[in-house]
Amino acid sequence: MQELDIVKPASVAEAVSLHGGAVGARYLAGGTDLVPNMRRGLQKSRKLVDITGIEELRQIAFENGALRIGAGVTLEALCASDLVRRHAPLLALAASQVAGPTHRAAATLGGNLMQDTRCYFYNQSDFWRTANEYCMKAEGTICRVAPSSSRCWASYCGDVAPAMLVLGAEVDISGPTGNRREPLAALYADDGLQHLKLGPGDLLVSVEVPAQSGWTAGYEKVRVRGTIDFPLAGIAVAIKREGNRIADLRVACTGVNAYPGLVPNLEAWRGKEPDEAFFAALEKAVRKEIQPMESTLTAAGYRKRVALGLARKLVGELFESAGA
Amino acid sequence: MNTKPSKGVGQRMPLYDGVEKVTGRAKYTADLFPRDALVGRIYRSPLPHAELIEVDVSAARSLPGVVAVITGADCDIPYGILPIAQNEFPLARDRVRYFGEPVAAVAAVDEETAERALKLIRLHVRELPIIDSIAKARAPDAALLHDKKPGNIEREVHNEFGDTAAGFAAADLVREQTYHAAEVNHAQMEPHAAFAAWEPEREQLTLHTCSMVPYYVHKKVAQCLGIDTAQVRVIKPYVGGAFGARVETLNFEIIVSLLARAARGAVRMQLTREESMLTHRGRPESETRVKLGMTRDGRITACECEVVQRGGAYAGYGIITILYAGALLNGIYDVKNVKYDGYRVYTNTPPCGAMRGHGTVNTRVAFESLMTSMAAELDLDPIEVRRRNRIPGPSVTPNGLRVESYGLPQCLDKVEEASGWRQLRGKLPKWKGIGMACSHFVSGSAKPVHFTGEPHATIVLKLDFDGGISILSGAADVGQGSTTIVAQVVVEVLGVDWRRVRVITNDSAVTPKDNGSYSSRVTFMVGNATLDAAQKLKQVLVEAAARRLQVEPDQVECLGESFHVLGDPSRAVSFSDATAEALVDTGTLHVKGTFTCPIEFQGGKHRGGAVGSTMGFSYAAQVVEVSVDPVTCRVSVDKIWAALDCGFAINPLAVEGQIQGGVFMGMGQGLSEQTRYENGKMSAANFLDYGFPTMAETPPIEVFIVESIDPNGPFGAKEASEGPLAGFPAALADAVRDATGLEFHEWPLTPERIAKAMEAREREQRAAARKTVRQPATAGAA
Amino acid sequence: MKPILRIQVNGRWREEAVADNTLLIDFLREQLQLTGTKQGCDGGECGACTVLVDGRPRLSCCAFAASFEGHHVETIESQWQDGQMSPLQQAFHEKLGAQCGYCTPGMIMAAEALLRTNAEPSEAEIRQALGGNLCRCTGYVKIIESVQAAAPGHRQTTGEPA
Repeated sequence: MQELDIVKPASVAEAVSLHGGAVGARYLAGGTDLVPNMRRGLQKSRKLVDITGIEELRQIAFENGALRIGAGVTLEALCASDLVRRHAPLLALAASQVAGPTHRAAATLGGNLMQDTRCYFYNQSDFWRTANEYCMKAEGTICRVAPSSSRCWASYCGDVAPAMLVLGAEVDISGPTGNRREPLAALYADDGLQHLKLGPGDLLVSVEVPAQSGWTAGYEKVRVRGTIDFPLAGIAVAIKREGNRIADLRVACTGVNAYPGLVPNLEAWRGKEPDEAFFAALEKAVRKEIQPMESTLTAAGYRKRVALGLARKLVGELFESAGA
Repeated sequence: MNTKPSKGVGQRMPLYDGVEKVTGRAKYTADLFPRDALVGRIYRSPLPHAELIEVDVSAARSLPGVVAVITGADCDIPYGILPIAQNEFPLARDRVRYFGEPVAAVAAVDEETAERALKLIRLHVRELPIIDSIAKARAPDAALLHDKKPGNIEREVHNEFGDTAAGFAAADLVREQTYHAAEVNHAQMEPHAAFAAWEPEREQLTLHTCSMVPYYVHKKVAQCLGIDTAQVRVIKPYVGGAFGARVETLNFEIIVSLLARAARGAVRMQLTREESMLTHRGRPESETRVKLGMTRDGRITACECEVVQRGGAYAGYGIITILYAGALLNGIYDVKNVKYDGYRVYTNTPPCGAMRGHGTVNTRVAFESLMTSMAAELDLDPIEVRRRNRIPGPSVTPNGLRVESYGLPQCLDKVEEASGWRQLRGKLPKWKGIGMACSHFVSGSAKPVHFTGEPHATIVLKLDFDGGISILSGAADVGQGSTTIVAQVVVEVLGVDWRRVRVITNDSAVTPKDNGSYSSRVTFMVGNATLDAAQKLKQVLVEAAARRLQVEPDQVECLGESFHVLGDPSRAVSFSDATAEALVDTGTLHVKGTFTCPIEFQGGKHRGGAVGSTMGFSYAAQVVEVSVDPVTCRVSVDKIWAALDCGFAINPLAVEGQIQGGVFMGMGQGLSEQTRYENGKMSAANFLDYGFPTMAETPPIEVFIVESIDPNGPFGAKEASEGPLAGFPAALADAVRDATGLEFHEWPLTPERIAKAMEAREREQRAAARKTVRQPATAGAA
Repeated sequence: MKPILRIQVNGRWREEAVADNTLLIDFLREQLQLTGTKQGCDGGECGACTVLVDGRPRLSCCAFAASFEGHHVETIESQWQDGQMSPLQQAFHEKLGAQCGYCTPGMIMAAEALLRTNAEPSEAEIRQALGGNLCRCTGYVKIIESVQAAAPGHRQTTGEPA
């Protein structure tokens, strides 16, 4: 492990100031993603700004029809929060499926949303990666998944982001250049190397999520084992129903791209019945949105298949239960 | 102390060393590292196959804080578990044959310095073709890994017992199928660790290591250091699981010893999880072709089996493994005609070794799968078919193995009834299914790996002035409970109070030699040796008591804590008095018990006939119920019923634990576990990607113990740990077939594999539908 | 110069010189010689290193000791109190929740965290709460039985700093 300097600010302003956008500085929260990566030599940071002592990052509030969740709230606290369970149960459902229970006790919402992308060629020891002559994402120049490609194909594997996306979440960011609010979707880029659009020293402070009321929503992920594992594919769905018709529909995916993404152009199905033509079109839309590559030990073809299958199943089931 | 004789065997007893484990006081090897010991680290080959032109350690050697650097040049003595197949050097010389093979090692003042030193080591190599599969190894023009091993074949085995041609001719149904099982790793929880202290003044080495076979380690370390075995002392602390991973001397044990001598001091070495998995010695990937002949009523008339194992880069246990794979085609059913062809292949992957169910598992999985498939074709119930092939009574198998006790039929009865098999088989809703299979394993190899003429097991009981009984045992407890077993046996025979007994284990300077914890030999052999020792000690005490009581020994009754004259309880001496009398003139008593498997149990006369030989087989049957998710294609195991004939349960609680653990390991192999290689580089060498099951998807495992009371086992006991494993993958595939109608011949049954099979079926169904649409006239549709 | 860390471990406040890059597990094992806590993987994959921080389970191999200035850490060694095993230890011993014992300290600490918030967990809740703790020996059956057996006798301790 490299030598480190850990500082513990007491406020967001102090955190941003201590970080200062310095090269090699990083924010540290639960550490469940960052520390294993550091142990593998994937993160060379020399300075860690430990934000777990900042009270304002750990608040959950409900105001003006929206939940405001501090980025430092642990996933365990998020799952247990009455406010979350009442106003956005989908978030608790998705958060409950992250990793294992001990990870969730430490891992934070912010850390999960900004989790590093993952790849079979990247999440390896220094010994392994050296022997493999590195890859584009760390110390190399070639993407080992697609060697002729000019980009990195590591995939984003967080569970909470797709749930946040279908509920229309926005994020508050503080940084050396000031504060800003933007849609969560705008935080992400389609690049395994640099999947977060954050400036140096930017700190995710909180997430605002409109109440789920009116939506029927669900999240399902597929993984080989019943816990711990990252999603091979995950689908979040929020649906509104009027009679036998879809009033509104949002679908988001994870584990199948470098970013968690909303499936575009589903507005076209507002006011229509979910018949077989709809499901065929839904599958087509999801297929167009996702691009799993051979970045996991499980074949990309399987991840694509289950992403489509889960989307079809969840939309069907949620539409049914929305009518009940 | 108690007035009544204490009970020892047949009791549900917590582990003798359980308190230490639950309190965190149990010291595993890494917990004993002295803080001032040097840190040893291994430089490993980044290439799967290459000629070593130069290993340049000069920069590492001159780094301040580095005390010693060694390379292959420092040891030119090969090692290996089998005396006839020692072809591995602790540090590679001239050539590396697998990714991660140790090439050099450093001892430094701390972790950081050792790490920096590794980064300064430079290799100059000539790369060689990577032979990482059975197909590549057997290709006609394949590069050879070893001299004098044409075709990269480590060992071929060919034998036929009975007349298989006649057997197949007598069959009503003959079927043949090839099954493929992925390579799996023991994945014991404790990463490998050792520390070695060289005393330069005495020229003696003390090695602490996490071994199952400290005696073999002792021999090989002395061999590779070129010193007398008398200069070595090996201590085995608590061991965090092993399952065969530590059943031979491993490179790091020799390397840390070489480093300690080079550094003239103490060196600690903790391997990472990745390094522990690279050290491997797991169950080889195997291709198993089975052909069975069956009569209309389900009797097997002949069996033919060909096994090819991807053995990895060095011999290890390979010869034994490929022999086991054929030998245990026998001993579970009454099959008279058996032909076996086995091929163990060298490849540029880490050496495979022995893993729970050594060599026998993938053969059993294939055999059971084909047996069930043929039963279905004949419209017979698979449990009934197994009953029809039962071994009728004590007998000798075609390959010379003796079956003395046989509880398989009772195992079948138990799981059939408990699972509700008759009500559920073929009758569960869609996507749910139930399946079954059987398995067996030896209770210790009747012929030891190293034949020395010594007894196969030795136990010493020390009794001194204090009246305390120290059981000196060399049997390696790695969590299975062997320490508890020996204590139970001593207490049972002597009837003494438990507080009188201590078990001292695994210090070569103190405890008698034991061959180690392999082939499930400990309960049977060490148990019998303990029984012998305890009976002898009892005799000594009875004779001493008789002297005090002034009667003949046959008039003395032992009540544990006291000795009475038969029929006259008023005339008694205490245990302490009997001990004092026994020590007169002799002083401290060391009573030795031994056990040796008689020659008639040591297997057939054919080449390799000793492998598979044992004095008693355990037998297991299990039923597995599953659900398959039609969208994710993930198999959930909902319930397992497992029955095991362990002869007699010396500790029923521990037997249950062993059965559950064995079934669980079979479940991992069946469902999700496999090692993976990326161009020869082991790439799932961590607990996330290797994926052995968690608590979340492991179902309740209901256990039934069948006691057939083996005539030779201690109190009738046989093994209980390895036998239950092999049934699982076959029972799982059977259940998945019941749930989905799809038959699988490859393991693990990952969601991906099931999805592929479902897609293939969907394609077929679509093609069939198209065909129907195109031919309306012949279909006669309106 | 290593900074001084003020931290409560098993009820006792300590002031220790600890480098910022020291993992919590290494601090416990190497510096305090509390070797009950085990390292089973290369980071965050097995749960063997689970300890409690302020009463909640924590992977000590995925955290830096320096992060816990002023916090309360409990390890397996804290379970033995007043000369006796805790109900969890007693149950893991008697029900054979431990075979090789290597996962046991982490397993017991995860179970401790569960029982403090849920005095009567169902089998499903136990499977859920201990899901991140791998065991290779037992098939988990007897671990679940051990936690169930310990529940009635489990002392309600808050784990808050004194």
